[in-house]
Amino acid sequence: MKIVVTVKLVPDPNAVRRIDPATKRLVRTGVDTALNPFDEYAIEAALQLKERLGPDTTVTIFTMAPESMKESLRKALAMGADDAVVLSDPALEGSDVSVTSYAMAQALKKIGFDVILSGALSDDGNTGGVPGALAEHLGVPGLTNVRKIEEIGDGRIKAQRETDTGYQVVTGPLPALVTVTMAVGEPRYASLKGIMGAKKKTIDVLSAADVGIDRPLGSDSAKMEVVAIAAPKSREKARVVEAADGASGAQAIFDFLRERKLV
Amino acid sequence: MRDVIVFVEHSGGQTRKVTFELAAEARRLADALGGKAHAVVAGSGAAALAQQLQNHPLDKIHHTDDPDVDKYLLDPFVDYLEAVAKSVGPSVILVPNTMLGRDIAGRIAARLNAGLASDVTELRVENGRVNCVAPKLQGSTITTCAFKAGDYGVITVRPNAFSAAPKSTGAEVLTIEKPSGKSYKMAVESDVEEASGELGLEEAPVVVSGGRGLGGPQPFETLLKPLADALGGAVGASRAAADAGWVPYSLQIGQTGKIVSPQLYLAVGISGAIQHKVGMQTAGTIVAINRDATVPIGETADLLVVGDLFQIVPALTALVQKAKAAHA
Repeated sequence: MKIVVTVKLVPDPNAVRRIDPATKRLVRTGVDTALNPFDEYAIEAALQLKERLGPDTTVTIFTMAPESMKESLRKALAMGADDAVVLSDPALEGSDVSVTSYAMAQALKKIGFDVILSGALSDDGNTGGVPGALAEHLGVPGLTNVRKIEEIGDGRIKAQRETDTGYQVVTGPLPALVTVTMAVGEPRYASLKGIMGAKKKTIDVLSAADVGIDRPLGSDSAKMEVVAIAAPKSREKARVVEAADGASGAQAIFDFLRERKLV
Repeated sequence: MRDVIVFVEHSGGQTRKVTFELAAEARRLADALGGKAHAVVAGSGAAALAQQLQNHPLDKIHHTDDPDVDKYLLDPFVDYLEAVAKSVGPSVILVPNTMLGRDIAGRIAARLNAGLASDVTELRVENGRVNCVAPKLQGSTITTCAFKAGDYGVITVRPNAFSAAPKSTGAEVLTIEKPSGKSYKMAVESDVEEASGELGLEEAPVVVSGGRGLGGPQPFETLLKPLADALGGAVGASRAAADAGWVPYSLQIGQTGKIVSPQLYLAVGISGAIQHKVGMQTAGTIVAINRDATVPIGETADLLVVGDLFQIVPALTALVQKAKAAHA
């Protein structure tokens, strides 16, 4: 079985993020790049499937990013993925959800897959719309928010997916796109052997032309434009009350809620 | 782009409250754009829900109770929404920013080659264009995006960001015809409710949330639940509490969980790391209880009470219950 994990490279979640006032885009150069934390759960889920299904199963990491960032994928290879592919083209810069998902779909068709795994959200844009759009462009079913893959093989999948009120059990044919939640299990750490081995694994780079992209790309084709960016309204500093005992602490909160007409 | 379409989310025969918020906002936008406000409701019980929606300020309510909507995952919803959107023409589609809403939004945006604005908390019409205001980058930046005119635009809207405004405007109720040539593959075998009868966390007016300071699963039941019940709210949790297995992930609030915007957020024994803050910082009022006066939640909260949560919470529950009894 061929599993492709789509990941997003995001500015290091621990670094300060900045928006360029001129382009109104997130500054992605000059800051460390990391795997979107949600996507590490997708890598973990893929590696679990590989363990379950045996050596005929391969895990390919896919991302769309500037070529200069491709080394950030070594971490995923060190965790145990077999190889990686980067779709990289200057023309893609500034693409919004609709263009990004179309371009990714073209590349994924070229790579080929039985299952696509991805994280449910991205850490920076927080759009959450890409997986659904990707499934549409690929013409495959999209199983989102999966917490457990119960059965997979013989061209079928059965999985539990989280809903706002509980969960559903769904079944259907492969190929399919699956997004996973954190319930699949903590992403594993790379072993020393994995880190050494990752250095020899291949990271292929594809251009827009390589994958047959024939639509306008980048910000010119984007369906939305950013018209303003601003800092959020700051809250006043908290009132701090030291509570000597439960009763006085409770009274302080109760009075505060009364003052604000919340009780 | 003049008409506005609301995707109606419902479960267990009840329309989710956020739908009514979207209906009020759709009316306001449609009036500013000089168009009509529509709603699309699909699935079992849709006809009854469509009638209820007549109490909200809409012009046209499109419905179908096609059983395929419940039997198959997502695609039938998207097909019906697409059918209405195509019949209306370039328009704004409002979808709640919930798990289902996000799935629908990505798919319908791809079908209609539309722009997608997510987790929007404010909408404005300027020069005939719809501007969407949304917090980004963990709430550190507020962006305003505009759709290009002449296209479809899809917007996921944060629950509790807008207020419902029930009012009958004599909306017309219409049946949507089944789109032809569709076959569905991903079957829903079972649908299990795990938190039945509880308020949706994103829609609750009050959220009482617990973290590592609770020390285990029991205090969520014995301390937080009674307080949430007394305040008419729901129980949430920090990632630490969900990771520890004390509560299901469905209760987790924060960047990797749910984003809530209640009138009142009570953070009990939660230190308030940035990832948690992302999920609750737009709440109306934030009150924290913590034994440590230096916790980061102090920067987000309006009131920080430093003390023993195991004593403060039951005493607060008693005060709220007493006040309610006196009022009743």
